[in-house]
Amino acid sequence: MADSTPEQVTLTIDSQSVTVPAGTNLIEAARTLGIEIPHFCYHPRLSIAGNCRMCLVDIEKMPKNQIACSTKAAPGMIVRTRSDKAVKARQGVMEFLLINHPLDCPICDQAGECVLQDFSYHYGTGGSRFEGQKVHHDKNVDLGPHIVFDGERCIKCTRCIRFCDEVTHTHELGLFSRGDHTIIGTFPGKELDNAYSGCTADICPVGALTVKEFRFKQRVWFLRNTASICAGCARGCNVNLGINEERIWRITPRDNDAVNQSWICDEGRLSFQIYQQAERLGRALTSSAGGATKEMLVASGYEQAAATLGEIARKHGGATVAGITSGHATVEEQAGLKELIERAGGSRIALPVHERGDDDALLIRRDKTANTVGARLAGGANCTMEDLLTAIKIGKVRALVVLREDFLGEFGAEAMTARGALDFLMTLDWRVTATVKASDVALPLSAYGEMDGSFINFQGRIQLLRPGLTPYEESDPAWKPLLEIASRLGGAAVPKNFREAFRWAASRVPELSHLDTPALGKFGVSLESPASGQG
Amino acid sequence: MTSQEYRPLLLKNIHRPDSTSLSAYRESGGYKALERAVKEMTPEQVLEEVKASGLRGRGGAGFPTGMKWGFLPKGPGEKYLVLNADESEPGTFKDRLLMERDPHLVLEGFLISCYAVGCTHGYIYIRGEFVDPWRILLKAVEEARAANLAGKSILGSGFDCEITIYRGAGAYICGEETALLESLEGKRGMPRLKPPFPAQVGLYGKPTSVNNVETIANVPLIVEMGSSWYAGIGRPKNTGPKLYCLSGHVRKPGVYEFPLGIPLKELIFEHAGGLLRETRPLKAVIPGGSSVPILPADKCDVLMDFDSLAAAGTMLGSAGVIVLDDSVCIVDALLNLARFYAHESCGQCTPCREGCGWYVQILERLEKGEGRSSDLDLLLDLSDRIQGNTICPLGDAVAMPVRSYVTVFRNEFQYHVDHKKCLAEPAPAPV
Amino acid sequence: MIPSQATQLQIDSAIKEYAHTRSALLAVLHLIQRERGYIAVEDESWVAARLDLPPAEVAGVVSFYTMFRTKPPGRHHIQICRTLTCQIRGCRELVKHLEKKLGIQDGGVTPDGRYSLITVECLGSCGTAPMMQVNDDYHENLTLERLDALLDSMK
Repeated sequence: MADSTPEQVTLTIDSQSVTVPAGTNLIEAARTLGIEIPHFCYHPRLSIAGNCRMCLVDIEKMPKNQIACSTKAAPGMIVRTRSDKAVKARQGVMEFLLINHPLDCPICDQAGECVLQDFSYHYGTGGSRFEGQKVHHDKNVDLGPHIVFDGERCIKCTRCIRFCDEVTHTHELGLFSRGDHTIIGTFPGKELDNAYSGCTADICPVGALTVKEFRFKQRVWFLRNTASICAGCARGCNVNLGINEERIWRITPRDNDAVNQSWICDEGRLSFQIYQQAERLGRALTSSAGGATKEMLVASGYEQAAATLGEIARKHGGATVAGITSGHATVEEQAGLKELIERAGGSRIALPVHERGDDDALLIRRDKTANTVGARLAGGANCTMEDLLTAIKIGKVRALVVLREDFLGEFGAEAMTARGALDFLMTLDWRVTATVKASDVALPLSAYGEMDGSFINFQGRIQLLRPGLTPYEESDPAWKPLLEIASRLGGAAVPKNFREAFRWAASRVPELSHLDTPALGKFGVSLESPASGQG
Repeated sequence: MTSQEYRPLLLKNIHRPDSTSLSAYRESGGYKALERAVKEMTPEQVLEEVKASGLRGRGGAGFPTGMKWGFLPKGPGEKYLVLNADESEPGTFKDRLLMERDPHLVLEGFLISCYAVGCTHGYIYIRGEFVDPWRILLKAVEEARAANLAGKSILGSGFDCEITIYRGAGAYICGEETALLESLEGKRGMPRLKPPFPAQVGLYGKPTSVNNVETIANVPLIVEMGSSWYAGIGRPKNTGPKLYCLSGHVRKPGVYEFPLGIPLKELIFEHAGGLLRETRPLKAVIPGGSSVPILPADKCDVLMDFDSLAAAGTMLGSAGVIVLDDSVCIVDALLNLARFYAHESCGQCTPCREGCGWYVQILERLEKGEGRSSDLDLLLDLSDRIQGNTICPLGDAVAMPVRSYVTVFRNEFQYHVDHKKCLAEPAPAPV
Repeated sequence: MIPSQATQLQIDSAIKEYAHTRSALLAVLHLIQRERGYIAVEDESWVAARLDLPPAEVAGVVSFYTMFRTKPPGRHHIQICRTLTCQIRGCRELVKHLEKKLGIQDGGVTPDGRYSLITVECLGSCGTAPMMQVNDDYHENLTLERLDALLDSMK
C-alpha cells in the first residue's frame, strides 16, 4: 500500500459527479463513469502526444475545446463531452482523418477491431464532403520481420513511434516529412526488428501496421478470444488466444499491470505455431518387438504402467522409480507426477533446464519454461538431469516416468546409453518425440490451448491457463493419467475435473493451500502478497 | 507630435555608414543602457521599468512583455531567454532589417532582458535562410564579447551572460515559440502541448521566455529614457514605436517606424508613396501579416495598433501590411496563402494537417472555375472545425484568413462559381 | 560518407557550443550540406553515430526542414519566393522566364549541373519583392532584365 492516499478531486462530466485521484486525466476520469471519450493517439502506457484531437471536450470557463488526454481533472471542473461545441469539433476531426484515408475496410485486416471504423460509426456524420484527390503514400511497406505498413491508412497518431522510443527504447521508427505528407517509417536500410515489434500492430488504432503472420488469415469477428497466459517463458504474459474452427490464429497481449502491462514479445506472440507444426501424439502407445510402437487404449496404458512400476518397485525397491518433471507442465501435472513417483516408492525427480539468451529489461526471461517455480514447489524437483542420468547408469534407477520432456532428443548419446540401462520408460507428452518413440508406454497429453492448468511465474504469481480448443484425440492434461496410475498403486481417487485437480494439488503445497481457481481470476494471484491481483 | 516630425528610435542608426560595427553603435550612445542596467539597477528594477512602459510583444500576439517575463520563477535557478529571430510571417521583414543594420541594438536589448529575468545563457534562434544577418550577428556577438559586453562579468558588474546563435533550417512553424524550442533542442519543429507553458517548462525543460527581435530592441530605449517617457509614445495600452512593413502594391515598399496607432491610410498614402499604379485603386489591406483577417478598402480608416485593429475585427499581428490593388483576384490570393500554410503545417495534429490540404483543393477548383456555391460554406465550416482545435496557432492562422476572405469578398468567390473567371481584372505583372 | 577533416573540426566545435549535444544537430547538418551541397543517407548515419542519436531521428529532422536537401542541387541553387507579395509583384513571370531560359521545371537541375530551380515559400523579403535566393545570397527587386544579368554573371 502507498504511504498516503493520493489527493482526490471531484468534478462533473456530462452532469455526473465523479471523484478521482488528483492527476487523473479526463479520459480516465470519464471512463470511471462509463463515459467513453473517443481517442486515437492517447494510450495509457505511452506519453501524451495530443495530436489526434479526437478527445476534444468542452470545459466550462474555457473558450476553446481542450483535449481530454492532456487535461487533468481539477476540483469543480465541468466537462461536457456532448455539447454542440465538442460534437462539432469531434465530427470535424473524424471527417479530416478520413479525407486521405483509403476507406478500404473490406480488404483491411483491422476491420472489426478498427478504432477509426468504430468511431466513424459512433462519432462521425456518416458522410464526407471531401471530393478531391487523396494524398498517396507507400502501401505494403515491409518494415521488419513481422510488420507490414500501409502509409495511406496511417493517421499519424505516433503510438508506434512512442512505443519504440519509450517501451523498447530501440528507436527504429520516426516521423518523416511534414504537413499532409508526414509519414512514419524506419531509417533507410533499417528494420523494425525489436523483440516486441508485434505490439506496434496491437496499439495501432487503424490498419496501418499489421502482423505478417496474421494478415489475411482470418476476419477478426470470426475469432473467439480465450483469456489465457503465454507459455513461452517464465514471465507468463497474459494473452488472448484468437481461436476459430479449432485453431489458434493469433496471440495478442492482455493487460496485466503486474506481469506484462500491455505487451508480449514476438516469440510469445508466435509461440502457437509450434503446436500446429509438430507431429501430435493422440493415442496411447506401447512398445512392440524391435522398438516399434503400437497403439493401445489409454486405459490399457494405465494398467500396463501400474503393473510394471509395481513390479519393478517390488523387485528392485521403490527408490529405483524416478521421474523427469517439466517447467512446461502445469502445477497439477507436476504434483501428479510427484504423487505417482512417491506412490511407487521413489523420490528422485529431475528438472531439465531450458534457458536461452538473457533476461531483458522488459518481459523476456532466459528461462523458457513457464512453470519452473511450480516444478520446485509442487513438483518435488530435487535433482539435475546429470544426477539422474548417472543414477540410471549405475543402476540406482530402473524405471523412469517422463512428463512433457524429450530428454532423449536433448541429451544425445549419454541419454541413449541411460535408456539402455532402464527396465521401463514411460513418457507423457503432447507430441511424438524421440523419447516417446523409445518408450515402453507413451500417453497422449493435451497441448497449449486445449486444457486448463496453472503456472507460477518467476515472480511467484500463480495464473490460469485456459482452453479454447478441443483436446486432441485421446489426450488429457497429465494429472489425469498420472493420478489414474497412482490410484492403481494405492493412491487416492482421481479428481473429476480441473478445479478438483487444482484443489488437490494446492492442498499439498502450503504456499497454495489457501487458493481455489475462482480466486485466480483472469489475472492470477501473487504468492508473496495475496492481494496483488490487477486493479 | 505629428508623424512627420517623428524621429526614428529603433531605426535611428540604420543609415549610418558601418552601422553594424560596435564602434559606430557606441558612438551613437549604444550600450549605455546596458551599462546603466547592470551597474545601477537591480534586475527587478529593469523588469518593473519594462512592465511600466507598457511594451507589448511585437511578434504577433501583443502580449505585455513585462508580464510575460514575470511568469518566470524569481531568483536563481537555470532559466532561459530565447530571442525569436525566425521572422517568417509573409509580409514581415522588420527583424531582418534590425539584425542586418543594427545588430548591436538587438544584442544590447537582449543582454538587458537576460539581466532582467536572471538568465545567464541566452539563445538567438535565427531563421536559416537569413545567412547575412546570421553572419552579422555572429560578428556582433564576437565584438561584444571582446569588449566585455557579453560573457563573464559584463562591464565588471558580476553579471555573466553567454549568447549562442542558433540557425534554423527552413520551417515557418518554428516561429511558434514551442516549435522553436523543439528545433533549438535539435528536433523536428513540432509545437508542444500547452500546458505546461514555456515559462514553467521550456528549453531543456527549464523555465523559458521567448521574445521577438523588435520587442527586445525596444528595451534599451526603455532603460535609457525611462518607462514614463516611453509610455508617452503611441496610444494608451499601445505604447512605443513600431516597425511597419509595407509591401505589395505600393510605390515605396519598406519598413517604416512610427508610434503605435498611426492611421493605416497615412502609412500607405503618405509614407509608402501611395498605390503603385494610378489606374489601380485600393482593393484591400492585410494589416498584420498573412495570418490576420483582411480589411477591404472601405474599412481601411483604422489606427495601426493592437486594440484598434482588434476592434476592427482584425489584428496588428506582425504589422506586415500587404497592400492589394484591384488587380488582385482574392480567390487566387487566398489559394496562395492556403498553399503556404499547407506547405508549412508541421503535420502533427489532425485538423491542420488534413484541413490545409483540403482548403487548397477547394480553392483550386474555385480558382479554375470548377467550384460550386456550396464550396463557400464548406470553406467557412472547415474554418470552424480547425480554429481553436489545433495544438498551436497555425490552425487559427489559416482558418482566420479563409473565413475573412470568403466572408468579406463572398461576391468574388461567387463570381468564380457563376462565371468561371475572376471578377478582378488582372494587370500586367509589374516586373 | 565521412566529412572532410576541416568540416569535422567545425562539427567538433559546433557540438562543444551546446551543453545538450542534440542541439548541435541542425548546425552539424548545415556544415555537412555546406561541404557537399546536400545530405546523403550515409551522412545521416554518420551524424547519428557522431551525436549518438537514432538514425531515424536524424532523417526525420532532415526531412522536416526545407533547407536540407537530400539530392545534389545545381552550383547555383535558385530559390524563387512564391508567397503572396512576391506573387502579386510578378514572381510567376520570373519562374516562367527561368523555366524557359534554363530548360528545366520547378524542382529541376540543368543537365550541366550549373543551375537548379525551385519555388519556395516566403523568404522574409516582401518589401523588395519579387526576390530570390541563390545559394546564400538574396537578390531583391528583381526584373526580367536584372534576372538575366544575374544569370549571366553566374559561372
